[in-house]
Amino acid sequence: MKREIGTRTELHSEDENAIVVKNLHKSFRLPTEQAFGLKQAFFNRLKGIKGYKDQNVLQGLDFTIKKGEFVGIIGRNGSGKSTLLKILAGIYYPEKGEITVNGTLVPFIELGVGFNPDLTGRENVYLNGALLGFSNEEMDAMYDDIWEFAELRDFQDQKLKNYSSGMQVRLAFSIAIRARGDILLLDEVLAVGDAAFQEKCNNYFSSLHKKKQTVVLVTHSMTDVRKYCDRAILIENGKIIQNGDPKTVAKAYLNLLS
Amino acid sequence: MNIPRVLNRKNRILLKELTKTDFKLRYQGSVLGYLWALLRPLMMFAILYIVFAKLLKIGNDIPHYSVYLLCGITMWSFFTECTSQGIQAIVNRGDLLRKISFPKYIVVVSATLTAVINMLINVVVIIIFAFINGVDFSLSWLLAIPAIFELYILSLGIAFLLGSINVKYRDVTSIWDVLMQALFYAVPIIYPLSLVAETSVKAAKIILLNPIAQAIQDIRYNFITHETITAWNYITSPVVVVPIILTILTLIAGSMVFRKRSKFFAEEV
Repeated sequence: MKREIGTRTELHSEDENAIVVKNLHKSFRLPTEQAFGLKQAFFNRLKGIKGYKDQNVLQGLDFTIKKGEFVGIIGRNGSGKSTLLKILAGIYYPEKGEITVNGTLVPFIELGVGFNPDLTGRENVYLNGALLGFSNEEMDAMYDDIWEFAELRDFQDQKLKNYSSGMQVRLAFSIAIRARGDILLLDEVLAVGDAAFQEKCNNYFSSLHKKKQTVVLVTHSMTDVRKYCDRAILIENGKIIQNGDPKTVAKAYLNLLS
Repeated sequence: MNIPRVLNRKNRILLKELTKTDFKLRYQGSVLGYLWALLRPLMMFAILYIVFAKLLKIGNDIPHYSVYLLCGITMWSFFTECTSQGIQAIVNRGDLLRKISFPKYIVVVSATLTAVINMLINVVVIIIFAFINGVDFSLSWLLAIPAIFELYILSLGIAFLLGSINVKYRDVTSIWDVLMQALFYAVPIIYPLSLVAETSVKAAKIILLNPIAQAIQDIRYNFITHETITAWNYITSPVVVVPIILTILTLIAGSMVFRKRSKFFAEEV
């Protein structure tokens, strides 16, 4: 079961590039039949069936993201955006190609990673914080701010299963925005909460933009792309089909849909 | 895998927090909570003690047999908990693996550390039992620590090795359950090794080549009574190092397989 593996390098240099991706390929092995068992694996081998088929998700991507750039990645469902983000984050391995990440990278593939319904809000805050790399002491220091921002102070000692889904997302978002890194990877995390909370999120993203924070944002919202992004990359069937001015690329995306 | 990165600050925080969560969740929603960490082995001990020591009258010739039995059961429970939790750790924590990037061994180690905490709590109980039973306190108790450590290394090796395979083939969990049922009888826990030695010296020696048996006997020897048969006082040939070598090899093999496979855990789990 040999598989080629590309390289992912992390460095901290003065170079103006934050992320460099060269000829990135990725395919997944999808089990054709139920192959989660020794019996099936054995019979498959006996019959000479591979038991899986290769799905080419990314087929040779090349792009560069400069420090301080806010880049949107757009594309239809299944085009490979999230896979790309996960490879950038180091969760999936690149199959072929080179990725260079320059600076500390903080990924948000999902809000509230590790949230456990059986733990209290307080316990979840510390757990989620640890997953973002914060120590107990650091969490102590920002604890009040987190609850203040989430507007959920009265619920901190309730178990998370008693929170509404909107409340959970608000809490998760309040923790997430404390994370500090040179590069932020965001996967469709803007659309949370009610109108008032949306306003807060908007402010957060505007502040990121103003601060010249390097951000890679995967989104379906062309409004956000036009509002925050300096550049947009359109992916279709695992290939980059446009890379440039957000307004032009957003238009190309909308054309693709119609 | 370079050492500074293995134990850097971020990974230490993560390990600590995941272990804490594991431990908290284990007894969530039960009335007696953490007490179950103590009660489970004590109840198993009570059952085995009544059946084997009282009804079948096994082990009457061993001093402090009840402590001897409790000690064996505790260490066996430690081994089973460590391995079964460790093997399932990757699958259980699949949601984390798919969403953040961190060294995967942390989830396995944190699952086994919960077993270590449970074991330590139980050691306190054994010590109390030992005092009640009139076992003399001695500095040789400290010599039991390397044997406990050996048991942990072995468990960790098995958890890494089988846990990696379990990601793709979930059968491993079931196979390991059955295997442990069998192993339980291959290790002198409920029967004293001296009983086997009376009928067949060779069988007793073979039993002692199993690292689990060797470690448990070492712990008993240092902790309870020097009348315990151990690999060191029973096997005279160089073969005596076999259990130690097996333990080390298991850890090496486990780490190697784990390192190779862990790249694909996020996709396969």
